[in-house]
Amino acid sequence: MSSAAETQAAATVLTPPSRWRGLLRRHAPMPAILAAVLLATYLWVSATDLDDIERRALEADKLLRAAGEHVTLAAQTTVLVVAIAVGGGILLTRPSLRWLAPFATALANIGQATPAIGLLVLLSIFLGIGSSTALIGLVAYSVLPVLQNTIVGINQVDRHLIEAGRGIGMSPIAVLLRIELPLAVPVILAGVRTALVLAVGVATLATLINAGGLGSLIVTGIKLQRETILVTGAVLTAALALTLDWLGGVISDLLRPRGLD
Amino acid sequence: MSHDVMIDLQQVNKFYRGQKAPVVENMSMTIQQGEIIVLVGPSGCGKTTTMKMINRLIEPSSGRILIDGTDVTALDGNDLRRQIGYVIQQVGLFPHMSVATNVGLVPKMLGWDAKRIEARADELLHLVGLEPAIYRNRLPRQLSGGQQQRVGVARALAADPPVMLMDEPFGATDPMTRDRLQNEFLRLQEQLRKTIVFVTHDFDEAIKMGTRIAVLGERSKIRQFDTPENLLAQPADSTVAQFIGRGARLKQLDLRRVDAITWQDVPLIQLDKPVNGAKRQLDQTEGSSALTVDADNRPLRWVNADDLAARPDALDEAGQTVTTVEPQATLRDALDAMLASRDGAAVVVDEHGRYAGTVTLDGLMQVIHHTPERGEPGSGVPDQRSAVAPAAELTPEQR
Repeated sequence: MSSAAETQAAATVLTPPSRWRGLLRRHAPMPAILAAVLLATYLWVSATDLDDIERRALEADKLLRAAGEHVTLAAQTTVLVVAIAVGGGILLTRPSLRWLAPFATALANIGQATPAIGLLVLLSIFLGIGSSTALIGLVAYSVLPVLQNTIVGINQVDRHLIEAGRGIGMSPIAVLLRIELPLAVPVILAGVRTALVLAVGVATLATLINAGGLGSLIVTGIKLQRETILVTGAVLTAALALTLDWLGGVISDLLRPRGLD
Repeated sequence: MSHDVMIDLQQVNKFYRGQKAPVVENMSMTIQQGEIIVLVGPSGCGKTTTMKMINRLIEPSSGRILIDGTDVTALDGNDLRRQIGYVIQQVGLFPHMSVATNVGLVPKMLGWDAKRIEARADELLHLVGLEPAIYRNRLPRQLSGGQQQRVGVARALAADPPVMLMDEPFGATDPMTRDRLQNEFLRLQEQLRKTIVFVTHDFDEAIKMGTRIAVLGERSKIRQFDTPENLLAQPADSTVAQFIGRGARLKQLDLRRVDAITWQDVPLIQLDKPVNGAKRQLDQTEGSSALTVDADNRPLRWVNADDLAARPDALDEAGQTVTTVEPQATLRDALDAMLASRDGAAVVVDEHGRYAGTVTLDGLMQVIHHTPERGEPGSGVPDQRSAVAPAAELTPEQR
């Protein structure tokens, strides 16, 4: 290796290409597109002659409340799902519990394969209607991608790295925290993003068991045959899902351990 | 005697549940301080299992393993492993940590302060030939394979462990890099005097690296445990001989140096002497050739009577140029020099290039056919000899 190449390589190491610029390039388009779509919807709605029902349904504070409920539901779901699925995934990749993994993923599969609306209605029969029932349904519905990605993410870590870690005297906990989890972060976060988008979408059904959310707009729109209400609800839901997915992408880029690729 | 023993395996067994035959059966081995013990054998013979039981990455089923007199099973496994260097073929550098962080992992676990860890990492990088200023902040993927393994060795040395375990450490590198890493490591070992257990399936590597070599068969059964010289000269049985492969004699030449065999003297002719005098000198001596040397006694050319007759006037043009070797050269180098020379002799010169003697094919033959004595020069190996019965039938020509 020539000394010139050496210094150049050293320079790249000392001043890595700015993380922020790459982040901006990758993640700037989505907010712009979302803003354009929201603006277009707003202009369309304000240009339309609204009747009483529509005007009442599209009041700003009503929209905000519905969106707030929706976000809360999605956020709570995410927190619970991450806690359950990442924790479960870690346990299910420990050598002593590994044999349980197929059973657990089968269970999570059932949760996801059951039609979401059926799941919610079934749960409300047993647990009554309300947001806690909706939450349980959403969690059951979105656990699978996170659980599966946690298991895959940890299992794809090179066994030799784990052996090397144990061989130099790291405890199993240290190997998990310093090697397995950091190297599994990109895969786990990909699962979390999928779960988030699913949760936001499925949360529109929460209104059917009286748990609020943007689904109420859609249902109202369908029942009363008011296109503006239906479209507004649908656009807001999609925008919310995409925003959260975008946020997940940014976070995942920030948390991605350096030295991978 | 016992204070020299660093690692003592006593009737160690390893069974796995559900397997009838043990992976390692009744393995006993005593390793002295400062030795490189190479465990060599076909894959699946249990050599890696044996090694991993020493730092308890694999727990022995029965038997005792003592390191420096302490039973390893009495220690906490993690504490034990922090005191034993560990190098694997796949290197196992953590890709998300810088070179310096990787090297400093064990000191950090031992609770050193940050400044000391940093200084130690730099010192070790320097030791393995990587300039700290350039490499300490690099990520593993920014290094070549050879550089990565150097960092792997540095990481294993971080807490200055007395014992190191190396599992085919150079197995994944290309032949040239491997050769260089081996040489560098041997040079390091001369300074460090670690006690090393080294696993490989490459017999040539075993010969090169080992103070003593244990050739293992099924279930880690020791077929022969001896110095490379003795192993090559007297393979205990046909399996060992087969494992050594072809060219055992040639391999022996790699192990011995020119200063370990007897040198012969040849007549010297000073260049400034008149040709007639030289001729007379050549006639008087029984050898057919003489060596011309310059005023400083540096050998120049081989000459014989015919050369002098053909070129009666110019002695400095007569004969054939000499091929020289230094006393530290291996006998293989000497053989090469002999083959290049018309007379089948290589001239030994001292570090200033002055004539010291000559070595001949006859001398080589004597060494090869002479059974090595106990205690090879320079190896410093104690008298612990082969674990196999000395009566094992010896057939030098196995093929």
